[in-house]
Amino acid sequence: MKKQWLSIALGVVTAIGGFLDAGTVATAGEAGAKFGLGLIWAILAATLAVMLLVEMVGRFTAVSKKTYADAIREDFGFRFYLLPLTSELIAESLLLAAEIGGVAIALSLFTGISWHTLFPFVALFIWILAWRAPFDLIENGPALLGLVTLSFLAGIVALGGIPAHLLPTLWHPNFQRGSVADYLYLVAAIIGSTISPYLLYFYSSGAREERWSRRSLVLNRVTAIVGMGFGSIGSMALLVLGAIVLQPLQISSNTLGELGLAMAKPFGITGSLLFASALFATCLGAALEVLLAVSYNIAQGFGWEWGENKKPVEAARFNLVMTIFLLIAAAIGLIGIDPLQLALFASTVIALFLPISLSPFLILMNDPQYLGNKTNGRFTNIAVICILLLAFLVALVSLPLEIITGGG
Amino acid sequence: MIDPNDEIFSVRDILDSQLQTRDRRKIGRVADIEAETRADGSLKLTYLVVGPQALAGRVHPRLRAFLCFFLRDRFEHRIPLSEVTKFGPTLYLRGKAENYAVGQSERWIAEHILRWIPGNGL
Amino acid sequence: MWRKSGAWIGLLLLLSVLTGCNVTESAFARTASNAGSAFAAAATTLTYAHEDKITYAYAASSFVNFQSELSGTDQALTAPSAVDTRTLHHLLTLYKPAIQVINAPCLSSACNWRSQIEVLNRASQALLKAGNS
Repeated sequence: MKKQWLSIALGVVTAIGGFLDAGTVATAGEAGAKFGLGLIWAILAATLAVMLLVEMVGRFTAVSKKTYADAIREDFGFRFYLLPLTSELIAESLLLAAEIGGVAIALSLFTGISWHTLFPFVALFIWILAWRAPFDLIENGPALLGLVTLSFLAGIVALGGIPAHLLPTLWHPNFQRGSVADYLYLVAAIIGSTISPYLLYFYSSGAREERWSRRSLVLNRVTAIVGMGFGSIGSMALLVLGAIVLQPLQISSNTLGELGLAMAKPFGITGSLLFASALFATCLGAALEVLLAVSYNIAQGFGWEWGENKKPVEAARFNLVMTIFLLIAAAIGLIGIDPLQLALFASTVIALFLPISLSPFLILMNDPQYLGNKTNGRFTNIAVICILLLAFLVALVSLPLEIITGGG
Repeated sequence: MIDPNDEIFSVRDILDSQLQTRDRRKIGRVADIEAETRADGSLKLTYLVVGPQALAGRVHPRLRAFLCFFLRDRFEHRIPLSEVTKFGPTLYLRGKAENYAVGQSERWIAEHILRWIPGNGL
Repeated sequence: MWRKSGAWIGLLLLLSVLTGCNVTESAFARTASNAGSAFAAAATTLTYAHEDKITYAYAASSFVNFQSELSGTDQALTAPSAVDTRTLHHLLTLYKPAIQVINAPCLSSACNWRSQIEVLNRASQALLKAGNS
């Protein structure tokens, strides 16, 4: 019993620490700097959606012992499977490059060394972890370090809390510093960066790595709901910091270093380094998750051996694919596009493909062959349909907005 | 006359199912199925086909022909249906991974490609 | 087929609404706005570095990022736009010294960092004003 509570606590903690990544940091910062509190609703809506999706995919895997990718291939056939696979490959290679860049920038903020120089070393370090580290270390390590994001809350308190004049921006955003198109672009990017499909593939595979079963359903529910819920606090805290500190200074938070200034104001050097640490931990965790999510997806879809607790030669094709994908992402990153801009772009690409990645849910979660008596209730199905509608809407506008706004 | 003890599976049930060997190793998924017509006109499933060539065929028949030529037809493996001991979303096979050609590719990659990377666990 | 055309019609409608309703900025306004806020961020970064709120290493890395963010801005500003030549000339006069600061920020007590901050602030304010008008 005590062990179960320990697992639940760990699950919640890792969800909190693991919520942020380069994409959510980038969007939260810009959202606050440009529109005050006017985009908090988008973060809340996206968080609600991701809570539901994570709970569902966890329940699915715990009961059926099949991962999300397994189920897509088995239930929808190879040809359909190629659709989410292709969209994942495109979107996640961009996102992985951005995450590696985020880690490199975090290290550059500490050392003063250019992130371009640090980038290949970071890529190598991530590869070494994915190659040999056991699943527990990969899942828990960076996430526990990521708890430093809670210092953002302390930053808000130290700055005197949310000033009264900002509160109206909750429902009436300030459009001085950005146009309506910018606003809508950030909505799409927030949704794309929060409801990232890689999270679902990774979580589902993790449930198999940890041998979840029907007994894990409570753990799954608490991790998904409480964990993701609290995780969004870090994201909202960053948005608020951007609104309090950066907006009055006319700073738009177009680079990751600028966002750290919001922590430097209340806490000085410690604050700026807390931000850099948070960036390091969250981007590292996300990089590993994205890399593994794609590798899991391919290995499971093609029916190969997979797993982080196996030696590389025991899951040869899985590890080979993982290595190749990292090389592709590293090549993209070495082109030198600023990681924040790349993260925003990747988030909009993800938003574009969301309907493809999420549509299997509706059918799978109602299939008693997989779930027995644990299929979706009516309320949950309605929620899934709403999420899918939102995903379609966002997908429709994401590409034109990316073109119109030139990437935010 | 259908014997009620015969388990009837649709092709769709078997297609894309996971193949797992006796030593609990996953060796791939069913890409295609071969069948032959019996004397009484009914269809009997004979072989499970695995491999990239067959997979390409699921996307488009011309793609399969192209890959057959490109890969010199070396990557299509057929497993007799009689090798399956248990049906379901996962098909359990009678033999060990090394008994099947498709199960050997994992070993090949491990020994020829991964061996050059340190820490591979060989 | 219907769904596909429906989606494209929706897209076109959205585009026309967005561009027609003036809810987007012109390319010039966007460039000026972004440059203005980059200079503002640089000014704050330099100030904080000398107020001991961030380390010099942090500031140095930040300036590397500002450099890449601002690369190509002068070309973008001088591209054909509705802005009159006098305003453009004024902006470029302020832009040039500011970009020099970005490329060589004063991160020790041995140089005149206060004047650098002034240069950055002047450029920032002018560009932001041009971007918002």
